Amino acid sequence: MNYSIETENLSLWYGDFQALIDVNVKIPDGKITSLIGPSGCGKSTLLRCFNRVNERYGNVTTKGKIEILGKNIYDADVSLPELRKAVGMVFQRPNPLPISVYENILFGLRIHSPARSITRTEADQIVEEALTSVFLWEDLKDKLKVRATSLQLEQQQKLCIARLLPLKPKIILMDEPCSALDAKGTLAVEELMEVLAGTYTFLIVTHNMAQARRVSKECIYMFLGELIEHRETRALFETPQHPKTADYVQMRYG
Amino acid sequence: MNALMTRPELRKKIALQGIAFIIVGAALIFIWNDLKKSGATHIQTSSASRVSGILPSLLSDLNLILPISLLAVLFGVACAFYLEEWLSATSWVRRFIESQVTFLTEIPSLLYGLLAISVLFSYAGVFKEIGTPSPVQDVNESGLAVVPFQRNTTMFYAEALIFILMVIPVAIKTTQEALRSVTTPIRESAYVLGANQWQVIAKQVVPLAFPSILAGGCRAMSRALAAAALLIGIHIPDHTTGPRGIPDRFMLFLGGALLLSTISSFLKKSRLETSPTATARHD
Repeated sequence: MNYSIETENLSLWYGDFQALIDVNVKIPDGKITSLIGPSGCGKSTLLRCFNRVNERYGNVTTKGKIEILGKNIYDADVSLPELRKAVGMVFQRPNPLPISVYENILFGLRIHSPARSITRTEADQIVEEALTSVFLWEDLKDKLKVRATSLQLEQQQKLCIARLLPLKPKIILMDEPCSALDAKGTLAVEELMEVLAGTYTFLIVTHNMAQARRVSKECIYMFLGELIEHRETRALFETPQHPKTADYVQMRYG
Repeated sequence: MNALMTRPELRKKIALQGIAFIIVGAALIFIWNDLKKSGATHIQTSSASRVSGILPSLLSDLNLILPISLLAVLFGVACAFYLEEWLSATSWVRRFIESQVTFLTEIPSLLYGLLAISVLFSYAGVFKEIGTPSPVQDVNESGLAVVPFQRNTTMFYAEALIFILMVIPVAIKTTQEALRSVTTPIRESAYVLGANQWQVIAKQVVPLAFPSILAGGCRAMSRALAAAALLIGIHIPDHTTGPRGIPDRFMLFLGGALLLSTISSFLKKSRLETSPTATARHD
């Protein structure tokens, strides 16, 4: 089995507070893996380590090793734009840029390629492909010039996934991608993830355990900065090995 | 009064306001005494405005606003960008400048006006020429006053300088507020696509915050205009030909300030309608 992400004794501090304690995790290639656990257990922090977006806060100390696609991302020769090109991220609240739908999808590509190197026909094709793969093309093909922030939330969230695709990422990180959506929107995003799962590795943080059960192949339970259990989803939910996991998945905890 | 305040907090607030009131009052009395000694309070104003129309006033408004908007607002906006985007929140430089800015924005514009007068009186040496009212030479057939164009450059720059000093803190403060309204999650959407800081600011922060920054600039300028009204009372911004009467000028400046604040409130509203935070209402 190939692994997209491997960490070795990863610890992280926000000032004096240790948010991650010796996390060792291996995320399999081309599958959906979910991260569950109570609030403040470090799920989001772990997720944010993988594209080094945590560092923007300042006051963050990291120890240990993170290998993404076989390369230690804390090596001196790693370029952050290249790393973030390979590791896309989707947030809790849809956050498209305040420009048109069309330009949103091309934004990532434009900042990674020299000015005016994308021809009009190429651009049109890229936008159509990206929107088709998130099932938005039919809805939005006449609204490409519309400001992305004026779309419905569900469409915005799908657009946020679509704009990662032209960069051809290997991994897509999702931080509670459905918590701002209604049931229909959630279903749509989940279906989309399942379709895309073969091509991309998904790592999804969720508070919704039913969702973790529905979509993910593997599941990780975290508690107070430690990784408690990492197993195949069904096994984790049905026969949890660790008493803390059992408490959480059987709703005896919070 | 704020219903959420507890009694000791309220007492503290009242005490602080009382102290501030006393300080401001004392400052006003001292400055007024100085002015009286120097004779500024006895300067005559003439009433040629009755015949000169609106154009000269409009021109002198523009004359005042142009240097302010070019220098003060642009400089203030640049300062705010530096403070907010490049300095970390814990940096002592930022904390120091922010505390000074807050202090300066809280000073009533009236005090700036009086400061302007006293500085111009004592140091600029311009009041002698300006202070003596120039006689209206002639009234031509169409009823317009013919006043020689008596622009005084030193005077003009000194006055603009005071206004610039007054406008910069307001511009910094409003721009900072505008930049803060673009929250971290929104910024991160560009960062995670691999954008660098410049790209994030240019493509995302500025388009989102621009209407608010513009509104802030208008607010800063209307503050300058409001203080200018005070100077008009004793004739200072008289660097173009134009109306001499207090009411005309005063009303015009007031009108300008009103217009600017209306524009700024409109801009604030339109920003809400287009920003992503507005979509929060849908769910």
